[in-house]
Amino acid sequence: MGDTPGSSMHGVTGREPVLSFAVASPMVPTDTTAKFDLPVDSEHKAKVFKLFSLANPHMRTFHLSWISFFTCFVSTFAAAPLVPIIRDNLNLTKGDVGNAGVASVSGSIFSRLVMGAVCDLLGPRYGCAFVIMLTAPTVFCMSFVSDASGYIAVRFMIGFSLATFVTCQYWMSTMFNGKIIGTVNGTAAGWGNMGGGATQLIMPVLYSVIQNVGATPFTAWRIAFFIPGWLHVIMGILVLTLGQDLPDGNLGALQKTGNVSKDKFSKVFWYAVTNYRTWIFVLLYGYSMGVELSTDNVIAEYFFDRFDLKLQTAGIIAATFGMANLVARPFGGYASDMAARRFGMRGRLWTLWILQTLGGIFCILLGRANSLPIAVTMMIIFSVGAQAACGATFGIIPFISRRSLGIISGMTGAGGNFGSGLTQLLFFTSSSISTATGLTYMGIMIVACTMPVTLVHFPQWGSMFLPPSRDIVKGSEENYYVSEWTEEEKQKGMHQGSVKFAENSRSERGRRVASAPTPPNATPDHV
Amino acid sequence: MAASTLLFVASILLSSFALSCYASGTFSALQKSILLTSSPKSGQVLKAGEANITVTWSFNKTYPAGTDSAYKTVKVKLCYAPISQKDRGWRKTKDELKKDRTCQHKIVKRDYKPETDSVTWTVERDIPTATYFVRAYVYNAEEKEVAYGQSTNDGKKTNLFEVEAITGRHVSLDIASVCFSVFSIVSLAGFFYLEKRKGAASQQK
Repeated sequence: MGDTPGSSMHGVTGREPVLSFAVASPMVPTDTTAKFDLPVDSEHKAKVFKLFSLANPHMRTFHLSWISFFTCFVSTFAAAPLVPIIRDNLNLTKGDVGNAGVASVSGSIFSRLVMGAVCDLLGPRYGCAFVIMLTAPTVFCMSFVSDASGYIAVRFMIGFSLATFVTCQYWMSTMFNGKIIGTVNGTAAGWGNMGGGATQLIMPVLYSVIQNVGATPFTAWRIAFFIPGWLHVIMGILVLTLGQDLPDGNLGALQKTGNVSKDKFSKVFWYAVTNYRTWIFVLLYGYSMGVELSTDNVIAEYFFDRFDLKLQTAGIIAATFGMANLVARPFGGYASDMAARRFGMRGRLWTLWILQTLGGIFCILLGRANSLPIAVTMMIIFSVGAQAACGATFGIIPFISRRSLGIISGMTGAGGNFGSGLTQLLFFTSSSISTATGLTYMGIMIVACTMPVTLVHFPQWGSMFLPPSRDIVKGSEENYYVSEWTEEEKQKGMHQGSVKFAENSRSERGRRVASAPTPPNATPDHV
Repeated sequence: MAASTLLFVASILLSSFALSCYASGTFSALQKSILLTSSPKSGQVLKAGEANITVTWSFNKTYPAGTDSAYKTVKVKLCYAPISQKDRGWRKTKDELKKDRTCQHKIVKRDYKPETDSVTWTVERDIPTATYFVRAYVYNAEEKEVAYGQSTNDGKKTNLFEVEAITGRHVSLDIASVCFSVFSIVSLAGFFYLEKRKGAASQQK
């Protein structure tokens, strides 16, 4: 027994939970030779997502990863709730405030692209530590800023730290099995994104505490920035001392022992940019994550000015937007995984379209709301839609490519930031468009830019409206993933990782897994 | 289910109406019956935290006697001139007084006296760099504005002065900033170097 997929009886106890927090054994066989705290699959990726454990390496990686990303979000958006003070100290115009917002998300377009390649080549641990510790000085630099250009420059540099998004997602993909990756990635990124909400609470509170101790307003906000700076340094040290790249060890050590083959950047890059799905997701993410970032930058000031609230009150309301990430983004990943169980990849695509479009509609309504209670309600529903869409996006990304996962994650992340910068430039920088109108226009743009998801088609799984290819070879997972390697590379055995991944990805057929015929030449008995 | 939805919608609507049930006064309805002068000369630059402004105000006797019978309190405020409101929607002038954001800094609040009153005020350290004039609002017993006076003309073009704010920067902050930054870079480089050395040593074994 055990020749055909799904027939192994390993690990079947009947007591395993049926949620996306765990993958039961008949679906994905457990590698019993591995000695880890959690059950793992053939790639030694965890099959169980135990939230409140710190087990090395899987869960420890999860916690290090999301907290680092959370810290970078806190520092990137730390200025936003303090803008009413900063704009007076530095004599900023609306254009300056808007440009600083664009700058804060633009830096990471570049850094996320670079980080994708760094993860593929050097590993996510170094990637994370370098970015977080090299951007700590930029956060401390806020104490030097004295005019608009300095403010814009520093926010631009702090924004580089958002590259930790890529290390976070990449690290999760190396540690957790594909069947639960939607939930894991959604939770890690969502909790990281919460930093954008937490900062709207933290910074005004820090500011008022420092003021009460005796500092004047124009000094107090500068001192408040030291706290995010210290968090950067602390997290960097923890990642270096406690983290590892892969379940079996660090990338450098494994590459030397020959267990992980080194790949060429030009090849990895080529397969990323020539896959049209990459570009569709770059656009889509610009209008789920992108609008979340834009809103993080404008919402506190919007509530402060439009509804005449105190700084702390505006901060609390703005915080609920970002803090919804605690559940909204993991919910998106979970919904994607649930839809995939029944409908496979098609379910994931529909889930994404529905969530993102709903977010857009409620963004339009937020801009049009004239009273505080209605505005807050619309904002909360908008936040859930947009953030769940982010989670659902990363439920699909790991399946676009196995070889170029790092670069595609990086490009998608960059797309998020590009969308944010573009949206802030178009709708939130000019004095002639009020912030309320800007929010409405942003909502319309979200709905429009979500339509392209209907074009994403996988030969082995189909698309939103079309069925998968009926050809036995073209319609197989192996063909799709192994086609990224040339014959010479296959002869060197470089494609083995993709073959294993293809097997594990058969779950994306939804209910049809058992009835799909096994294609010829699928899994060789030995190399 | 339908009843609770209806109740929810109704409570949202009611709370939004509640906010608009106060009669809002407008600036154009106020009487300009206060004469006000301020000490800074036109174009003078004052340093925040150091310079003083002396404001003197009194009831304009050319108005009929008894006009000021309802006047109870006076609030003197520092207000933004149009040039400092440009491209800054958060300082916008609106006729509806509840929404007007021209005068954001309070100088003093006093009981109304028909005789001349004055105050000398040190420009506070949280006043931003901008161009200003001084205006006094007079309130009645219900705390509603009824009259005003200002140091500039109606077009807010004459007799404006500037304030130069503190930077908020301190040498001690700058030094602390540099120290922590250096620590961050040095510890990263240190770890990297140590790990590379450990890796090279284990290779040689």
